[in-house]
Amino acid sequence: MDKTDLSVVRRPIERANGLPNAHYINHAVFEEERAALLVKGWAGLAVAADVPEPGDALPVQFLGMPLLMVRDTSGTVRVFQNTCRHRGMILVDAPRNIEGAIRCPYHSWCYATDGRLVATPHVGGPGQNTADGIDRSLLGLVEVQSHIWMDVVWINISGDAPKFEIANAELLDRWAEFDKPLYHGGADSRFQLEVACNWKLAVENYCESYHLPWIHPGLNSYSRLEDHYHIEAPERFSGQGTWVYRQLKDEAGQRFPDFEGLSDKWDTAAEYISAYPNVLLGVHRDHTFAIILMPHGPGKTVENVHLYYAVPDTDPALRARNTEQWKDVFKEDIFVVEGMQRGRHSPMFDGGRFSPAMDGPTHLFHDWVASRLAQHRASASAAQ
Amino acid sequence: MTDLDAQLRAAHDSGDAPALVALYKQAALATKTPDARGFYLTHAFIFALETGHPETAGLRAQLVAMGRELTVSHP
Repeated sequence: MDKTDLSVVRRPIERANGLPNAHYINHAVFEEERAALLVKGWAGLAVAADVPEPGDALPVQFLGMPLLMVRDTSGTVRVFQNTCRHRGMILVDAPRNIEGAIRCPYHSWCYATDGRLVATPHVGGPGQNTADGIDRSLLGLVEVQSHIWMDVVWINISGDAPKFEIANAELLDRWAEFDKPLYHGGADSRFQLEVACNWKLAVENYCESYHLPWIHPGLNSYSRLEDHYHIEAPERFSGQGTWVYRQLKDEAGQRFPDFEGLSDKWDTAAEYISAYPNVLLGVHRDHTFAIILMPHGPGKTVENVHLYYAVPDTDPALRARNTEQWKDVFKEDIFVVEGMQRGRHSPMFDGGRFSPAMDGPTHLFHDWVASRLAQHRASASAAQ
Repeated sequence: MTDLDAQLRAAHDSGDAPALVALYKQAALATKTPDARGFYLTHAFIFALETGHPETAGLRAQLVAMGRELTVSHP
């Protein structure tokens, strides 16, 4: 198909239109964005808390690719292609703990949890486990570059992105105060939402505060629209903050403990940032959360939500209440993102116009998408 | 089918790795040729390696001594 025209997206917000419909409903564009936006940079895959113990292995299907996240015996979290170097068999098809080695279920080639190929039974004939041409040091599991921040396991599938700390330096600096141990709340602090929309609509909705009084009217009583501010880092991330975060407390007045050493700003502030491409983060004085968007096609996204606290042993009832509160908020957004998805099947929709005052963070995301796609198209045409 | 065959079949069916290690070791002892012994020891070694069985190093050492396995370290 012809490439979409993104010039209008990159105009100043007053004159810009949003991304064309095809970027939400067309399979070819989905594949183009997969390569340009999700494979080339640092995308969120899962959280380290998904593999809490050494030897824990979690198969994850990401963008159609079978990946395997493993916490090796030294405690390092690694991401591999979940594919045997022999015949390409899937190695692990359900979460489990690897007690010794990862044994391929086909011909039993075995890999250490750090990816090394450590056994090749009968490769030289029955009972002969070595063979010319089978150099185990060259046949370890193919590892995907990964980095952990805010407990999110970020991966760079193409392997050529700048280091995570460089690519995300501004965001790391902005939230340096939260660069400390985060304790996942456990089973009651994770949930999954399946939404019938393109993954970008979840990002866009999360970026802006414009919708809050309409979609989350419960916030109006204490967190009004004017209490929010934009967070805008062109080409990197965008989001919103509030000056009036109110801590959750139970009937006895009990609250979650604060993260230590936060500056005064965080007494009442909270921030919500879309870390492009697919991770939505929130920070508060007493908890953080991460939402990892798993694109499952142009019109289907799975949101994996995880909540974190400053200490490992928070009150279970309060934790459950916090999870429920956030789940309610995120569920309130579902009809919006799904409605926008359906709206993008209107052939005359032109991407929409932005509010110059209120949609800056959303436009920044569109601009980032357009910019990355332009780079991708330029490098693709140069290679031809 | 011998009794050992039946036990091996049952251990495979139930995924009983410690039993597989023990039974393949037993099978190795019952064979007469080096190739057959290497074959069964290899199976014992692989199931031991997979499960972090305490006999992993010893089984590997036997295979190394027979020239059937590398001497590199294992997990």
